[in-house]
Formats: sequence, C-alpha cells, structure tokens
Amino acid sequence: MAVAATAAAHAHGHAHNRLQLNRVGLWLFFFSESIVFGLLLTSRFFLMGVDREHVDQQLGLIITIILLLSSVTAFTAETAIEQDRRRLASWMLLATILLGVIFTVGVGFEWSIAEFNRKEVFGTVFFTMTGIHATHVVTGVIMLFLVWVQLKRGKFSSRDHFAVSGTVMYWHFVDVVWVFYYPALYLIGNVVTPGQ
Amino acid sequence: MWALRTLSGGLGMGLLFFYIGIGLTAVLRNWFGYPEVWDRDFNVTIGYVFGLLGWVMGMGMWGSWGREWFGLRTHSYYIRGWQRYFTWSTDHKVIGVQYLATFTIVFLLAGLMAMLMRLELATSGLQFFDKSQYNTILGLHGILMIAVAVAAVVGGFGNYFVPLLIGADDMAFPRLNALSFWLIPPVALMLLITPFMGGLEVGWTAYPPLSVQTQTAQGFWNLAIVTFGLSSILSGLNFVVTIIYMRAPGMTWSRLPMFVWSMFVTAWLALFYTQGFAVALLMVTLDRIAGMGFFNADDGGDPLLYQHVFWFYSHPAVYIMILPGLGIALEIIGHFSGKPLFAYRYAVGAFLGILGLSGVVWAHHMFTSGIPNYLHGPFLVMTELISIPTGLIFLSALGTIWMGKLRLTAPMLFALAVIFNFANGGVTGIFLADVPTDIHLQDTYFVVAHFHYTIVGGEIFAMFAAMYYWFPKMTGRMYNMKLAKLHFWWMFIGFNVTFMTMYWPGIQGMNRRIADFPAAMDGINFFISLASFGLGAGFLVFVGNMVYALFWGPAAEANPWGARTLEWQTSSPPPLENFDEPPMVTGHPYDYGLPDAPAHARFGPGLPAGTPAGGGGGGGG
Amino acid sequence: MAKHVVSVVLLWAALTAVGEALVFADLFPTVGSHEAEDFDQIFRVLLFMGIPVFNFVVAMLVHSFLRFRAGGPQEGGATFKGTGAIPKVWLLLTSCLAVTTIIYPGLTGLRKLQSEANGYGWADTKGTLIIHVQAFQWGWQYDYQEYDGEKLAVSVFSLHGDGNELVLPLEVGARFEINSTGAAYDFATEEPSSGVLHSFWIPAFRMKIDAIPGRTTTMTVKPTELGDYGRDPAYRVQCAELCGLSHTTMDTPVRVVSQEEFKTWLAEQAKATKK
Ligand SMILES: [Cu+2]
Ligand SMILES: [Cu+2]
Repeated sequence: MAVAATAAAHAHGHAHNRLQLNRVGLWLFFFSESIVFGLLLTSRFFLMGVDREHVDQQLGLIITIILLLSSVTAFTAETAIEQDRRRLASWMLLATILLGVIFTVGVGFEWSIAEFNRKEVFGTVFFTMTGIHATHVVTGVIMLFLVWVQLKRGKFSSRDHFAVSGTVMYWHFVDVVWVFYYPALYLIGNVVTPGQ
Repeated sequence: MWALRTLSGGLGMGLLFFYIGIGLTAVLRNWFGYPEVWDRDFNVTIGYVFGLLGWVMGMGMWGSWGREWFGLRTHSYYIRGWQRYFTWSTDHKVIGVQYLATFTIVFLLAGLMAMLMRLELATSGLQFFDKSQYNTILGLHGILMIAVAVAAVVGGFGNYFVPLLIGADDMAFPRLNALSFWLIPPVALMLLITPFMGGLEVGWTAYPPLSVQTQTAQGFWNLAIVTFGLSSILSGLNFVVTIIYMRAPGMTWSRLPMFVWSMFVTAWLALFYTQGFAVALLMVTLDRIAGMGFFNADDGGDPLLYQHVFWFYSHPAVYIMILPGLGIALEIIGHFSGKPLFAYRYAVGAFLGILGLSGVVWAHHMFTSGIPNYLHGPFLVMTELISIPTGLIFLSALGTIWMGKLRLTAPMLFALAVIFNFANGGVTGIFLADVPTDIHLQDTYFVVAHFHYTIVGGEIFAMFAAMYYWFPKMTGRMYNMKLAKLHFWWMFIGFNVTFMTMYWPGIQGMNRRIADFPAAMDGINFFISLASFGLGAGFLVFVGNMVYALFWGPAAEANPWGARTLEWQTSSPPPLENFDEPPMVTGHPYDYGLPDAPAHARFGPGLPAGTPAGGGGGGGG
Repeated sequence: MAKHVVSVVLLWAALTAVGEALVFADLFPTVGSHEAEDFDQIFRVLLFMGIPVFNFVVAMLVHSFLRFRAGGPQEGGATFKGTGAIPKVWLLLTSCLAVTTIIYPGLTGLRKLQSEANGYGWADTKGTLIIHVQAFQWGWQYDYQEYDGEKLAVSVFSLHGDGNELVLPLEVGARFEINSTGAAYDFATEEPSSGVLHSFWIPAFRMKIDAIPGRTTTMTVKPTELGDYGRDPAYRVQCAELCGLSHTTMDTPVRVVSQEEFKTWLAEQAKATKK
C-alpha cells in the first residue's frame, strides 16, 4: 500500500480567480447568516407583535454608537492597508477590537441589569437575539485580532490583503445586523410590563 | 498508517476539547455563582461545541487551514490507496466516495430499523418492543433516512460528479468541502447513541413542547442536527460558487447537464433554508438548557412558532431531496434514449420554478395545527401551483423516451421507475395539499405512503440509478448487470406492493407513529409487513453485487455507456485533477442520434491559457 | 408514429377505465357525519381527476418500455428536441388542470369547511352542543358545557381501555373547544402546567385539529349515523400528533346516540357527577 505524502499543495483552481471566488463565497456566507438573523427577528415579532419590555435606552444608544463607530475604524483600516499605510491600519484594527470589546461588555452589562428574566417571552427573544449577535461580535474580535497579529508580523500589502478586507466585511455585516436588531429590541412599539 | 494517525488525531483532539469545554463551563458556572456547576445538558452542549471544533481541527483542518489564520505555513498531503478515505482529503472524488460509503451504511441501518418497525406492526398489540423502544426506532429511522435523503445524493454524487460534469478540476472551496464531510461523523455518533441516553420520543420533526421536556437524548439529537445543517449549508455554498464560476470554457448555462442544474437549484435551497432547521433546534436547545421560553405557553411562548420555522426549512428540504433525484433521472434518461433530451429548457425552467415556489408553501404541513384559517387558502393555492413546474419534468422525461431507442440497462430501469413512482407520489400529494381532504388524512398512513413514494420512490430509486450508472466510473470496475436488473425488479415490485397498499389503512383511519392499532386492521398490516420484508431482502442482492464487483469485477472502460458528457471522456476512475488535458465544451450534452451534432467537448492544450471560467457566462448555445 | 399514438391512447383509456373503478369502491371508514360525506365526495373527485393523470404517465412508460427498445422493432431516427408547440400545449393543459383543482374541489371545499375564523367546521354545522376537550398525556377529558342553550356540568374523563365514552347525539351540531393541559395534570388541584401537542381526531367524522398548550382550537361536527366503538373502530377519538410514550394508545371510544338517549345519558351523568 503505497502511501505517498507530498507537501505538494497542488495548485487547485489554477484557471480561476481565487480572490473572486473567495469574495463570492463570503457574500453567500453573509446571505446565509442573514437568514439566521432574519428568522430570529421574525420570531420576535411572531411571539410579541410590536410589544416590548423596558430596557435601558441610554445604554442601548451608547453601545449602538460604539458599534457604528467601530465600522468606521474597520473601514479606515481596510483603506489604509490598500494604500500600504501599515501603521495606520494597525492602529485602526486595534481601535476596532477595542470598540468591539466595549460593545460586548456593554451587552453583558445590559444583561446583568435587565428587568426581565429569560423565562418570559421578551427575555427569551432579547437574550437570544443579543446573545447570538454578541457571539458574532466576539468571533469578529478574535478574527480582527488574528489579522492584527499577522499584520504586525509583516503580512498583507496593497496587493494581498484579502484576510483584512474579508474580516472587515464580516465586521460590517455584524454591524448591519445590529442596525436591524437595535430598533426591534429597543425602539419599536409599546412598552408593556410582564404580568399584563 | 495515515488513516490511523488522522483518525486518532481527530478523536484525541475531539475528546480533549470536549473535556476542556465541559470543564470550562463548570468553572464559568462557578464564577457566575450558579449553585450547581454541573448541569448535564448545559455542560455537555458547550462541551460538544468545543469537541466538534477539536475533532475537525484534529482531523486535518488545523494543518491545512487553521495554521493559515495564525500566519503559519499550511501543508496538504496527497495520499494514495484506501487510506485516503480516512483522512482530510480535499479531492472532491474522495469526498464524494466518503459521503456515499457513509450514507450507504446509514441507509442500510435505517432500513433495518424500518424492518423492525414493520415487525412490531405485523399485528396489533405490542409483541417485540415496548412503546419507548418503538418510539426510539421510529425517530431514528426517520432522522437517519432524512439525513440519507439530504446528503447521500448531494454530498456523494454531487461532490463526485458536479466538478467532472462541468469540466472543473475540483470544487471551488476544497477545504470547505472536506470540512462539510468531516462534520458528519459526529452527527452519526450523536444520533446513534441516543438509544442509550434514554431514547427518542418525538420523531424526526421534534415538535416542542415535547422535545423540550424529554430526556437528554433529545439534546444530543438537537446538537447532531444543527451540525448536520451546518454541513449542509457549507456544501450548498460550495456548489453554488462551483457551478457559477468553475465551469469549463464553453459550458454555457444552456449546455449544463440536467444533474448539474438540479444540483444548482438544490444548493440554493440548502443555502437559503437549512437555517430554519438549525434555528428551530437552537430555540429548542435554548429552551432545554437555558430555561428560555420560546415554546412555553405559560410565559407567552408559542409552540406554533417552531412549526413555522421548522417547515420553512423542511418543506424546501423535500426538494433538496427530490430535485437531485429528478436531475439524475433526466440525466440518465437523456443518455439512454438514443435521442436528444426533450424540452431541455422547460425542464430547467421547472427546476427554477420549483426553487421559486418551494419557499412559500410550508404551512401545508400545518393545516390541522390550529393556524389561523386565513392561511389555509394561500398555502393550498401555492402548493398546488407547484404541480405545474413538476409537470414539466414529466414532460421532459416522457418526451425523451417517446420514439427513442431505449437501452434498458439497470440505471435506465431505475430512472424510469423514478418517473413512475414520483407520478404516484405527486398525484397523492394533491389529496394532502387540498385542505378538506388533508384534515382527515393528515398524520395517517396515507401521508406515510405519500412521502415514501416521493422520497424513496423518487430519490432513493434515483440514488440507485446513479450508483449503477456511475459505479464503473468511480471504481473502474463493472458489476453484474443481470443481478443489477434482478435488484431493480425486486425493489420495484417490493416497494410498490408495500407502499401502494399503505394508502388504504391511512384512509381507514390508521394514524402514523404508533406501535399499536385497532385489531380491525390486522390483516392489511400483516400484508404490508410481509411485503416490506420482501423489499428489505432485495438489498442483499445489491450489497452482494456491489461488494463482489468492487474487488473482483471486470475492469470498466472509460465510457461503457457511450455517453457524451464530460465525466465519461476521462479515465475510470479519473486522475487527480480529473482531466489530463483541459476540456472545451463545444456542444449540447444530449444531442444523441443527430448525425451532424458537434461533440459535447473536445480536449487539448490548444485552448488559450487562463480562459475565463464559466464559458464567458450565460446565454448562447 | 400514428400507430404508437393510437396504442398509447388505447392503453391509457384501458388503464383509466380500470383505475376509475376505485372511485366507486368503498375505500372509506363509516360515514358518520356531514363532514365525512363531504370529505368522501371531495376525495372521490380528486381520485377521478388524479387517476387519468397518473395513468397517462404509466401508459407512456409502459408503451415506451415495450416498444421503443434499442434493437427492437421501431421506426428509428426520431430526433425531435421538444422546442416546438408540444411543451407549450403541455404547460397550458397542466396549468388549466392545476387551476381547476385549486378552485374545485380545493377552494370551494375550503370555503365550505371554514364556517368561522378560529378553527373549522363545515358551514351547515352550528354548535348546539358545546364540549370542552382537554388533551393530556395520555388521555382526554370532555367537559360538556352547553346543550340547546342549557348549561351542563357533565364531565367524562377517559384513559385508554377504561371504556369511558365520548357520547354525542345524532343530527346535532357539536362544537369542540380543544386545549392541551399539562403532562402531569392534576385534576384535584387543577394546577395549570404546560402540556404538549396532541391532535383530536375522530375517523368516522373525518375531522381533526391539534390541541395546543396556550391556545384554544375549535372544530364542529354533525353526526349523521348511529354508531359506537364496540362495533366500529372508526368511532373513536384518536390522538394524531406524536405526544410521547403512550401516544399509540391515546384513544377513547365514541358513541353516537339518538337525541332522547342523549338526554337520558346526560341526566345519569349529572347525577353521577353530583355524587
Ligand atoms: Cu411540504
Ligand atoms: Cu398523541
């Protein structure tokens, strides 16, 4: 039984534009993810109509602004690496990571002061939706960190930075999800108190 | 021993990560001040997520992929011989065989469970199993067969033959492909240990609140299915990109073989809808382990939410199962009729029409579920409209064989049987789409007969058609055609006698998912059981024939059927990157019997280097 | 070509003629209610329409299988690709067929079925008798609420095999309001707890609707035929939604009696309940 091991890395897909395939794949992944988020969003309205319970408006607004801001820094990081401005890119990635962490801590704080528990229906949808979203934020932070480490080790340039732009696209996607989730959980409809 | 090395790596890392996961959970629970650090369902769920990651990483994802995320050099190995089937191979042909072998075994296992159920149902009363055992067998038979139906053809024949049929050297994302497959063994493991964790009670649909209340086995089941869904989504994504971007020069949309078309539509369905199942079971899991209240009516939740989300996937899922089957049927009928495929464009339109409609019919599974009455009408209308595109597939099949020169080989016989069976399943489907008749027939053996006609009669027959059609290509060996035909007639007659009869007890008022029934139905059930044992025994012929051929069968030619499509223009089995010389598609795949039709493809180094993929995009032809 | 067309048409006609015999066959359980009459009729209409469709496919397959084999006796050389009028005609015909089926018996039947917005029952069935049904793991409780405008306090609690019956009067519209109660429902304390899904189904009446925790579903039937479970298993309440361990035996006998007998029965039950 001949076992031939080669460190070959046979050049797959030679005739194809790898970058293009990756990009399309990433977009399809977002498309697929948005169904998950969409189903949860729909479930929220299915269960509660437009009702919601009291949540801390100030905190909600602050973490929303932070997350939106992080999209700006992420975008700046991507533009910077496209122009080979590695220092700026590095700082902007760090800023994004920091803002992402603050956002996650904010959500955690919101959980700890919530006036509803996870058994009742608003608690269920609130914790699930913010939880799934926060999981994505944390994943994004880890990815940004790995990208930052590689940048520090001298990888990426204006010609080769798909890992950076892919991660940044992912970050924007997670932001866009929050743009839908924030009003659905914090702004829309009538405030009801449980037990009514 | 590469196989042993890889497998022990996967298992070792899987177990290690699993224990890290449950330990970490315990530590965190302690940290957050929970009175109990150990909650079986909760800790095991988190442990499973860790263990799953460890397993795929240990299997080879780390070396070929994960290292890249840390800026390290990745390595990939190409291993010859049987051992490559037990390693992290990115070759689509290896992955296709891995899927096929796995799911053939699962199919036979789940078929055996069906035999056990029929044994219990041979007469009223409880003879062989108690209620709990019966419910477990029933649930496992259901979900394992669903898994076979979703993944055997798509993962097996799809992976092996879509790249070959479109003239590509591999799938668009080979590593993702390997990941899709290696997510499957944990699924199988989790499903198969459920009988030892208290058994299943809810059937494959896992309706809450029952699925929230039952024992730990249900939690394992949920995790398995979410994983399976992930695998399904990833492979769907891979197929979509592959079919759009990896087609050989000249392979325009209007020259795409039918099987590829059906896989294209199926991949979109998998990519778009599988999330429904995953989200539904995520909610069940959260209700179970985190005490949430999605389906707890006392706290404002609603059990009907599950059914909507679940069927949002599970109706399209039947098309994920059946469309590749119909694609195979048309593909084979196209090659064995000695004349061009009839109404190619209409058949493609049919696939696209089904893609469009399949997402807006789900509530036809919920006519008796207490949904508001205003939903019945629209879902009745949409469901029955699907018969129009489906009819076009019959048009194409019947038009192709009409006045043809049929070569009635085993694959052709199975393909023709698909058309027969699916016609039966389609017509009886109308009774279930029509609300007034569905009210009575819902959840009876009429439904059981109907969906076995569509899924087994449609897809599983097509799976066997494909096995007999592509076996020489995959193995380089030929099976015994006489035995294959014997298997066909045995299975065809056994299947039809079993399930045609099953409609009647359904109408008579025998509900499904029961171990016992009124004694008045003893006779008919005994008959069905006997017929089903006959059906089951027929698979011995198949197994014997295949195993013998695999080791001792005569060598197969490159193109034993004289088919025009690309996979037959390369050696059997094909070389590593499929074609020795790059293919250029120059004609339609089904132009049989036309003396002046150009060949489907020609090969040669004379093609311009770096020719854009996809033959420069659609149209033409 | 023409000779093949003729023979396939003949084959089709023959198969259809044989198949249509099914329409006249008695496939059904006892017709116990107005609802069952309508069901059987719609089922027969669908069968009448479906059999020729199925048999067309069968006739084409069988004929081609027998007559168009390679090397067999046929006029070879057909190369048509189906780009002409035939697919258009086919599309038109199948669309007409589909739309017809949707309208009749589909939507017309549906309109008759839905007499009210929240649940269903055929339009000519009004609820004169109102029964609250509680489904639990694994049995049923029937609380008779109202009959002919009179309030009732009769309750039947039934588990598999205990012989307690759901008794209904002949030719009276019965309206069932159905709920699912807790798995371990304690009738002494009446502590509510979450139940699971069940489905309330009486085969003789061809009517079925799920019992859902947290919702009330309704359905109405009008029995037209005397009958009881002892003589006819179609007269039973059967749970039709997998509800756990003993789902298979979650059934109750049903007895349809004359209106006078029903009154007597009510009186007896009321006495028994008071005791
Ligand atoms: Cu469906
Ligand atoms: Cu039940």
